[in-house]
This record gives sequence, C-alpha cells and structure tokens, in this order.
Amino acid sequence: MAIRVNPKLIEDLLRYGAEDVHMCYHCGDCSAVCVHSDEMFRFPRKSTRQLQMGLERKIETSLEPWLCYYCGQCSEQCPREAAPGETMMSLRRWLIARYDLTGIAGLFFRSRTAEILAVIMVALITGAFLLYHGFTTGNILVYDGPDAFLESSFIHKFDLIIGSILALFLIGNAFRMWYLIMIKGNPYTTPWWLYIKQIYLLPLHFFSQKRYAKCDNPKDSAIHIPWFAHLGLMLGYVTMLVLVMVFLPALQQGPGINWSIHVFAYLASIGLIVGTVYFIYSRFKKQHIQYQKSHSTDWVFIILLVIIVLTGIVQHILHRSGLFEAANIIYILHLMSVVPWLLRMPFSKWAHLLYRPLAMYFAGIWAEANELQQHPQNIMPIPQI
Amino acid sequence: MRIGVFFCQLDETKKFSIESVAKYSANLPDVVTVQILGVNPRLVSDVLSGRIKQDNLDRIVIAGDTPGYFKPVFTKAMVLAGHNPKEVYLASFNEHGATGDMALERAKAIVACATYAVPFSLAAIPAQNPVNHTTLIIGGGIAGIQAALEVADADKEVYLIEKTGTIGGHMAMFDKTFPTLDCSACILTPKMVSVGQHDMIRLMTYSEVIGVSGNPGAYQVKILQHARRVDIKSCVACSICSDVCPVWVDSEFDANISKRKAIYIPFPQAVPNAFLVDEKNCTYIQSEGKKCGVCVKKCPKECIDLNASDEVIEIEVGNIILATGYDVLDVSKIPQYGYGVYPNVVTALEFERLTNASGTTGGKIVTKTKQINKRTKEEEWIFSVDGTPPKSVAIIHCVGSRNKKYNAYCSRVCCMYSLKFAHLVKEKIPDVTCYEFYIDMRAFGKGYEEFSERIKQEGTFVVRGRSASVAMNDGQMVVKGEDIIQDRVVEFDVDLVILAVGLIPAPGSEELSNILGITRDTDGWFSELDYNGNPTDTEKGGIYVAGMCQSPKDIPDTVAQGSAVAAGVLRSITSGKGIGHLSSVSLSEIELRAKSIITL
Repeated sequence: MAIRVNPKLIEDLLRYGAEDVHMCYHCGDCSAVCVHSDEMFRFPRKSTRQLQMGLERKIETSLEPWLCYYCGQCSEQCPREAAPGETMMSLRRWLIARYDLTGIAGLFFRSRTAEILAVIMVALITGAFLLYHGFTTGNILVYDGPDAFLESSFIHKFDLIIGSILALFLIGNAFRMWYLIMIKGNPYTTPWWLYIKQIYLLPLHFFSQKRYAKCDNPKDSAIHIPWFAHLGLMLGYVTMLVLVMVFLPALQQGPGINWSIHVFAYLASIGLIVGTVYFIYSRFKKQHIQYQKSHSTDWVFIILLVIIVLTGIVQHILHRSGLFEAANIIYILHLMSVVPWLLRMPFSKWAHLLYRPLAMYFAGIWAEANELQQHPQNIMPIPQI
Repeated sequence: MRIGVFFCQLDETKKFSIESVAKYSANLPDVVTVQILGVNPRLVSDVLSGRIKQDNLDRIVIAGDTPGYFKPVFTKAMVLAGHNPKEVYLASFNEHGATGDMALERAKAIVACATYAVPFSLAAIPAQNPVNHTTLIIGGGIAGIQAALEVADADKEVYLIEKTGTIGGHMAMFDKTFPTLDCSACILTPKMVSVGQHDMIRLMTYSEVIGVSGNPGAYQVKILQHARRVDIKSCVACSICSDVCPVWVDSEFDANISKRKAIYIPFPQAVPNAFLVDEKNCTYIQSEGKKCGVCVKKCPKECIDLNASDEVIEIEVGNIILATGYDVLDVSKIPQYGYGVYPNVVTALEFERLTNASGTTGGKIVTKTKQINKRTKEEEWIFSVDGTPPKSVAIIHCVGSRNKKYNAYCSRVCCMYSLKFAHLVKEKIPDVTCYEFYIDMRAFGKGYEEFSERIKQEGTFVVRGRSASVAMNDGQMVVKGEDIIQDRVVEFDVDLVILAVGLIPAPGSEELSNILGITRDTDGWFSELDYNGNPTDTEKGGIYVAGMCQSPKDIPDTVAQGSAVAAGVLRSITSGKGIGHLSSVSLSEIELRAKSIITL
C-alpha cells in the first residue's frame, strides 16, 4: 500500500504549538527516559519521526500521544532542545481536531481570534436569551420558587438540552477515534470479547489517572503534586457536572442548605479551586518545563473555568444570604460562561477527559491482542548474559 | 565615472557600524550614490535598473559580509539599464577579514579598493618585518613534538614549552591508535626521545608562557619556569626518592585511577627522564621546611633541592606555534550517567589507562574492587589486578557532545575510540558482551568505515540510539536506551560503563588567547585565519595553531597539522621576505596604493 505523505505536516503543527520538531536528530534519549514508553508503545521519538516524515495517516491512527502525560523529563534531557514533550502536547491538540468532524476544533486551535469571538458570541446569546426569559416569566427579586427569575425546572431543561448537544458531538468524536485507532490503525486482529474483557480499564483510568501519578519527576518533589491537582480538578469537575445535570432542582432549592446534595458540591468546589489555582500558578510561574509554553486554548480553558467556579460560588453565597437580585445577576453571568464552556467541550482540550481513558482502553485491547497472536519477533534477540 | 555603493547584509553585523562605512564611502572620489539596503533585502532588478538609470551609474559596488549573494540581481539590473554589466564589484567584509579591533578601518579599506576596482589583496600589502630564526612552541603533545622536530630538523632553533613535567601529552596515555591498532607509545616515544636529544630543541617542561610582546617576526616572550626541585641533568630516575616519599596523591597521567608520590616521574618513558616535586602535596614545602625532606637525604645523586624557586625567563622568537591540546568535559555535570555515583562508570581516558599495559592493572580490564584505605579508614573503589573482569560492558557515545546543554559540536574522535574500546574489551575478555550506544557513527577517515564494520563483525552489539540513563538495580548496573533500528526499548545489565566524553579546549586557553592577542571561536577553540585556505595560521602574523587546540581532531590530522605549521614557520624564516601582517597597514596606505595601481 502506498503511504501518503504530507510534507507540510510540521508547518501545520506549528499552529498547534509544536515549534522545534525539525531539531530532533533521533538519539532516542526521550523514549528511553520516558516512564510510559514500553515494548509496545515507544514515544516521543517515534512520533517525532513520523511528524518529520509527514506520515499523517500514521499519526492520525496512533495512540502514543494519548499515552503521554507531559512530565517534561524528555524535554529536559533532550540534547537538541527539540521539546519532545511539547510535540506530544501539540499532537494531542491536533488529534482532537482530527477526531472532530465539524472542523470547529481545528479552527479554534489554529485561530485564537475565532475561538474568543465564538466564546463571546455564545455567551452574549445565552445572556440575552436568559434575560429575555427571566423578565417575561419571572421577577428579578425572586431567586427560587415558581416566580423565580430563572426557575430551576427551566434551567434544568435548558441544561439537559445543552448536555445532549454536547453528548451528541462527543459520541460522534469518540466513534471517529475508535474508527481511526481500532479499525484503520490496528495492526492486530481483535476478537470482540477483548472489548468486554478490557472494559474495566475505562473506569479505572478515568477515576484514578494512575498513569499520570507514575509520571512525576522525582527531582521536583516526593509527592505527586501535578497528579493530585489534576485529579482534584477532574473529580470536582465531573461531580459538579453530574450534580448540575441530574440534581439541579435540589441543588438550587433555598433558602436552607440541602446537605445530602451540597456536601458533594462543596467538595467538588474545593477540588476545582485547588486544581485551577495550581494550574494558573504553574502556567504563570513557568517553573516546570510542561508549563513553560501555553497555547491560547489553554488560557481560554483555564480562564473560563475560573469564571465559572467563582460566579458559581458567589451566586451560592448571595442566594443563601438573601441578596436575590445580585444572586440572579451573578447567576446569569455564571450561565453565560457555562454554556460556551460546555459547547466548546468536544472541540477543545477538555475532550481529553474522554479520549484519555478511551486510549488506555484501546491500548489495553491492543496489548491483549498482541499477546494472543504472539507476533513473530523477527528482530535481533537481546543477548542473554 | 559615476559609482554607486550598495550595502546588503545577510545577517545583522555587530562587528562595526555599517553607517560609518557608508559615510566614509560617500566621500570617496566619483561615488555619487550610497545606499544601505539593510538585512536580507528583497531586491528586484527592474527597480534597481531604474535607480541606475536615474543616477546614471557606471559602476556598482556591493558591500557586505557575503556580497556575492546579491551580484546576479545587480548584474541583471546593469544589463537592463544598458550599462556595462562587468562594472559590478564586490566588497566582501568576510573574505578580507574585517573582524577584530581593526574591523571598521578594514571595512573602509575594502570598500575603497572596490570603488577603485582594485583587488583588495593587491592594495593591502603589509610591510615585512625581519624574522627571528628562533621558534616557540607552546604545548608538548604530539602536535608540538611533530612541529618541533620538523623545524629543528631544518636546523632552526626551537623552544618547546610544556606545562607538565613531561612531553607526550594525551597520546602518551593511550593504549592503541585507531584504526590500525598500533601501539600508541611505540609511535610516540621515539619522537619524544628525539625531542629530548635534539641539538636544536630547547625543551622547557613544567613551564608556561606568562607574557608576550612585540611584533610578528620578533616576539619577546616571558616564560615562567616552575621549580622542578630536581636537577634534570644529574637525576638518573632511580626512584629511590619516590620510594621513601610518604605522600600519596592521584596520578594525573593515569587519569586519577592510580596513585603516585609527591616526588614522582609521570611515567617511566618521560622526557626529560627525571623526577619532579609536586609542591602542592609535598610535606616539606607545605610545612615550609619543618617536616619531612627525607627524599633529599636518600638521593644518591644529591640532585634534589626542595628550596628551589620559580624562575622567569625571557626569550625572543620570530614565530609562535600553539599546540595546547584539549581537556575532557567534566562528566559529573551530566547526572543521568551516574559518573561519580556508581564506581564502575568510567570515562574514556580512565579506560584508556586501565587497558594500557603500563597501567595500574598491567592492562587487565577489571571492575573496581572495594577496599578500606589504610590511612583514612574509609571505603574506596579502586582498580586492582585481582579485580574481576566485567561480563558485560556498555560504551556510550556522544556524552556531552552534540548536546546543546554541554558541547554543541561533535568531538570527532569518540566514535572511533569507542569502537577501538569494543575491540580491546573483546580481545582481552573472550566471553564478554559488549554494547555500543551511538547516535550517528562518524567513521570518516581512511580505513575507519572498514574498522567500524570489523567491530560489528566481531560480535559487538551496536545499538543505534544513545542511552539515556545508567541506573543501579539490586547492585547491578542497568543501561537503558532506545534501539531505533530494531524499534524497541532496551535495558542491558552491565558491569562496566565507559563514557565517550566530549572534548573541551585545554584549561588556560582563554588566558593564553589574551596574552597572545588571538581570538577563539564560540566553543573556545583557537580561531584559524581561514578554515579552508589557512587552517593553521591565525589572524596575527607569526602565530600558528596546530592540533586539538584549533578543533577536535584525531592523531593523523594532528600530526599533519604539526608538520603543516612547521612549513609555515620555515617559509617565513627561509624566504627572507619576513613576516608582515595586515594589522600594521593603515587605511591611508591602502588607499594610496590602490590609487597608484589605477594610475599604472
């Protein structure tokens, strides 16, 4: 089969953040130093090579970028200062754009202006719509109950609609990812029962992110701080998403505090605050190699998240302290940031919440399939001593 | 004649201000147009021809670092304008050496010559100084030895200055040379002896240059001769002094893998074959004569004088040859290989001494053994004859070389000596497993590629992919790397790791370059005048570079350069024309001569 080559691939990747791919001279330091690089998946050097050669199809169907958590050790040791870690990061952005059939993700990654404009536009439309709805059906001085400015049953429905749109895109993207990796890129014949056998990998990696924990740089600190912050952020985020999507009416009910629900919301808020503060601090401080280069989408991601968390908390406090008018205004602002955030999900870095565990799942299936077939090893045997 | 001068640069020049050269050229006769086109200008011949027509230019001068790059577009513009396309002249700052202190003056002269259409080299002829027939060679390694013998054999007097106690340099430390696997000492020691016995060579060991003044052809050199404290003429190297000396220190000649005394001879074949005292470690000198002094009492020839002091000698020479050699990078700066942490990680130079038949183990390749130091009561790892030979050896190439964090350049010899090591290891330990980790195999010389193939045939596992780390797992060293050709990550258990460490300029190069007034490149090696045309001359007349101090190179190239500098020196002495140097020519002189050439 002829291999299609895209000689401009490196240039394309520039806009996704990979700057120094051409510097690599393939000493293999990065692959050797990486804790995740193993017999089955060797990176970042191999991915860098594929990029240099412009093997677009090969990269499109590869799992390697998702197996990297960017600890930065490869970039630290790289003798050519080719930033292999950043290359892997950019490849993840590029893959997100590849999995997305609409082309919106690619547009956002390539153009900061388009992304910011889209976010502002969606925010304004949401704001206008909610204001219109609020003033026609409710009273701005009332926060909950049937006369409320934004009554929770309506917001609940609104959320569910947004959520379904989001899910639709995500499922489509996940399907495309499955097609690219398991159909086009899969070198093994994979029996169907392997999908069932390995399914436990999905929740395992989703909730533990244990591969990230393995990634810590022993030189920096003994505790896995980036992993911990990331896990807190992710768990807080997922909890909050579930609460908002399923338990919104109970969550919004006042004036008392419904502890059985709110305790989760408080825990989730703590996780979100710790996570966002840590990542903003790191991106400003630029102490660690993985936070030295920030793509514009990283900033949009984190800034929107901060606004959501802050407005959410303030709105909650104002509501419980009886300042209903202010609470309603902040609530509008909160929703104005939530809606673009949610709609942006399938087209942004956020989507790795889904792709990472999926990739681990697929990788697990590949590994099993490989063992089943006992691929003939036509390579030089390692001498035994 | 109406002349237009155009300044075009490919890069920003920092050596001098283009504006001041432009101002100067505007005042040259017949120059009507001066324009600075800036860095990497986009030139269109149509536009230029319009300019040429407008100013009615008969001659164009393109000035810049590499003006030839822009010549085609100007030539075309001249044709389009209907003028003579042959009247396009280049004023190349790079080619005629507008660098250093004289850069601005030189650049002006280059432009002036171009406007007169006179080749710069015809106009800029320096006055020739008479040449002192004595030559100074700094550095007694193989490059200095070769140059000294060549010049001295032509019956010209040579001063050979060496910093350490013996000549021979690094080559004396080596076991074998690549690719022929000749014994290194067998090639070197006869040459060393010739140097020691030559009538025309004044050998000054344990000395260094501390000051140079004067002009090409007549340099006054100040040499600091450290007190050797042993009389060279009467010492017979009986070694009774060192037998009784109580102080043990690391032996520099043995790359610190063995010990020597404070009164010592670097190695048995040293030239001059006499002992010397290491004043920093001698108890007598450090206690200012209060303690020890036992060697003085025991010496049968009474040739030790521990109270001798350093001397400063002044000599006058015509030419100076620099052959200061190199040093190896400090590997402990590179943490991932564990040098200094794991006992059996050694540098190439250490291994070279280990495998050398005159080394501490008599040439037996062993791993280090732990022993208790009798005096300090501390554990230490040493190479001992009773040590166990390694079952597996890993040789890691490019350690600190081709790495932007340490040396960005290739050290050029490491690939070949690493292959040589693999051969030596295989030769001496038959059932050993040997791994070579490399990035690119640079087997560039005569017979080198064949040598590389031979080593692979001998059963060395050559892994393409430099190893990333050396680790210790349950007392077993593990080298991890990516095998790129076989597409796998490999981890090998090894007993001995040899690091092919990158080379850096010899310590004191910077000081020496200041003393002599010559430049060094960004990596610290001495700059040659022209890499292709004059690889052994420097910017300063009568000063030459040979061997490693110019850039890393192997023994054949070093010897060749040693002979090449001798040719330069002898040419200056025997031609009777003297040595001139452009720095002695002023701008007005060049202008005057250029004008006189036109009128001819």
